[in-house]
Amino acid sequence: MKRFLVGLAALLLAGMAGSASAQTMSYAEAGALIAKSCGPSIEKFCAKDNLGTGAVRNCLMAHQDQVPQQCFDDYAAARSSIAKRLAAQGDAWNVCNANIRQACAGVQPGDANILTCLQSASKVIRPACKDILVDAGWWQ
Amino acid sequence: MTRITRFVGGLALAAALAAPLAGTATAQSSDTDAQIMQGLSQATLFDPALTAQVLRQMAQDAVTQNLPLTLDKSEIAKRLDKLAQITVQIQFALGSDVIRPESYRTLGSIADAMHHPILANYKFIVVGNTDTTGTRAFNLKLSQERAQAIVQALIVVYGISPDRLEAVGLGQEALQVPSKPQDPINRRVQIFTIGTVGPMGSPVPTSAP
Repeated sequence: MKRFLVGLAALLLAGMAGSASAQTMSYAEAGALIAKSCGPSIEKFCAKDNLGTGAVRNCLMAHQDQVPQQCFDDYAAARSSIAKRLAAQGDAWNVCNANIRQACAGVQPGDANILTCLQSASKVIRPACKDILVDAGWWQ
Repeated sequence: MTRITRFVGGLALAAALAAPLAGTATAQSSDTDAQIMQGLSQATLFDPALTAQVLRQMAQDAVTQNLPLTLDKSEIAKRLDKLAQITVQIQFALGSDVIRPESYRTLGSIADAMHHPILANYKFIVVGNTDTTGTRAFNLKLSQERAQAIVQALIVVYGISPDRLEAVGLGQEALQVPSKPQDPINRRVQIFTIGTVGPMGSPVPTSAP
């Protein structure tokens, strides 16, 4: 029983360490960061501009002197993190290809089967593969 | 898809263990990250005849002919109910399709789920609904624009591939609570998992000798 609890604690700690070392934020965190730092300015100056059209960013720039610098900093950080995570998600299977062939022979792709296989083979996967899965937000 | 459901169940459980205070679950709305992932991946079957075009036409016909559309009792509603789905509250500016900043996070959560390998090969219909305040025709148009705004944000800001998303407005034609047609609870966005984008691919080859 004691061993089980120690194991569980180790697992939880490993989980936390994993997410703390992620180099990218989740898309939810990125959205929340923009809302937190820029939301008040968007509501005040850009109430007619929609996300995904470029209009919000243009509007914030047009009111640069009235918008806090924190908004521009966090907006840039969020957009850069989103781009980095998208790139990692796009490249992950290529970067992990050797490990997939080695550890997941016979596994049917889809429904996260490959990811589940890699996670269960965590001891043998290459650092580059693990790093990109962390950046993709798929390795906790 | 039973295997997915089990896996996602595990994810949800892990999330519940890690953050016991984070969930404010309600019956109608799936607003936590784990609920969004779970809702969208629970499909046991798909309904290829139930397309965005069919839904659009149905709503448009009802409004044009000014006929009552009791979608809640209809065959189509029963079929929609069987699909993997979530209902989320997205906050829009009054009478417009502008998404308010307080909902940027929810859109990001939806993107997190859609980009995850569990859902990466699936496509979705985003459905906008209003309550009965205003005219039926206005509500139909507004809900279509709002669904489209969500799809646009998911594509442009969060990088979801356009071929995975379709937008449909049902206006006030599919009330969540028909006995309270003006209740804001009827203003909601539903996302349905409607099928796969492409074949799942061949099994990983076993190493050559």
